[in-house]
Amino acid sequence: MTRLAHLWYQSRCTACGACIAACNAANYHSTDITNKAWGWLASNIRRVEILRGHRPLLYLIQCQHREAAPCVTVCLTGGSYKDVDGLVKIKPELCIGCKYCMVACIYNARWLDEETGLPRKCMEDECLSQVKAGLDPVCVAVCPAKARAFGDVDDPHSKISRRLAKSRYVRLLENKGTEPKYFVVVRP
Amino acid sequence: MGAVAYVLLRQVKVDNLKAFSWVLFISIVAALVFVVADLSRPWNLVNALTTSFFTGKFGLFRSWMALGIVLLSVAALLLFLAALRHTTNIKMLNAVVDAGWFGVLLAAVGLLVTMYSGFLIAAAPGIPFWNTALIPVLWMFSASVCALALTELMIRRNDITKFIIRAGSGLKVAELIAVLALVNLAVYGGATAARASGWALVHGPLAPAFWGGVVAVGILTPMAIGLVSWSREIKPLLAAAAMLALIGALMLRIVVLQAGVFGPVA
Repeated sequence: MTRLAHLWYQSRCTACGACIAACNAANYHSTDITNKAWGWLASNIRRVEILRGHRPLLYLIQCQHREAAPCVTVCLTGGSYKDVDGLVKIKPELCIGCKYCMVACIYNARWLDEETGLPRKCMEDECLSQVKAGLDPVCVAVCPAKARAFGDVDDPHSKISRRLAKSRYVRLLENKGTEPKYFVVVRP
Repeated sequence: MGAVAYVLLRQVKVDNLKAFSWVLFISIVAALVFVVADLSRPWNLVNALTTSFFTGKFGLFRSWMALGIVLLSVAALLLFLAALRHTTNIKMLNAVVDAGWFGVLLAAVGLLVTMYSGFLIAAAPGIPFWNTALIPVLWMFSASVCALALTELMIRRNDITKFIIRAGSGLKVAELIAVLALVNLAVYGGATAARASGWALVHGPLAPAFWGGVVAVGILTPMAIGLVSWSREIKPLLAAAAMLALIGALMLRIVVLQAGVFGPVA
């Protein structure tokens, strides 16, 4: 079984924003339309800063490609679906733009593209093409700090599996029973 | 719940239900129009629904949105038949609408339409304030009050008015308890985002709409008028109470939706 997943190395990340900009450039052709849902640019990754203690904690939030994704469950037409590769994807031809998937996501990982009416999220067309060609998604490819990885967590020899094997990691909101496939490495 | 009211009015042999039935049908059509108007890809509606239905991907048994569209469509059809029955004199139509099973079906669909929108938002895990079974219950009480209000505005019969005053008083109390319980649970027992939503209603930016619109205008004023009317019925006052109850019900739904916020990711 294939289960593609993302890894983000929190302490290695320099918050340069290259992944955010790359997502905007590759998947949305560097459009300057506003992502009103997040008050952000048209990108599938958003930056969340949490002030706790002496310094803020930074999180980069994107679709977690959960094993049990409620956005897939609530979609009335099957437009939001989980593919055999483990990624949660959108079929535009089945999407009516009801936006129910947006309020079903506990990570607020979807945003409304007002031009197409689609609830956009991580793994859009360009990144999917990259993955299909055996390459990394653009956010992983451009990271100058090598703070990202992507691959099949069911393959013990994949880059992501090897990094996870020697790291301490957490998964966001794991206590909700969500089984996210976005691993946040907190320690080597 | 207007459909339930219609069935009950037929049971007590209310004569002229033509206007009432057409108002119910127009309301359901308006509901469907509002649903479609909110879509960001309405041009894809027919294609997406038919494709998903014929490929077995339609989520009737897993998505409240899917169930809601089916229920609204069935309700629209049934209410259209009911409205036609009171407008025309087609024997076959009269036989169908007057049949016992039709009343049971219409009442059941009306009840489900009332509850589905409550379950729709209660089943959205992204907004903690909505994730409570209290919302469908609150929607039931609120919709029942609306059905009574519509009946009071459109049906002229003393025994019906008396029933509305008494039932309305009880339902108003139940609605007030449910509204306050919803806010109380969010503020004192909810997750971080639910607490933020609750406080927004109690003394935040939504407080004027909540306390003024929902509680004072929508619940307490009609309740007070209802209590006065136990001993002395003043028709214009009862009509005003009905209008205020309808406005309050709309305000309730608006503030509950506006108050919903996503939870923190860490």
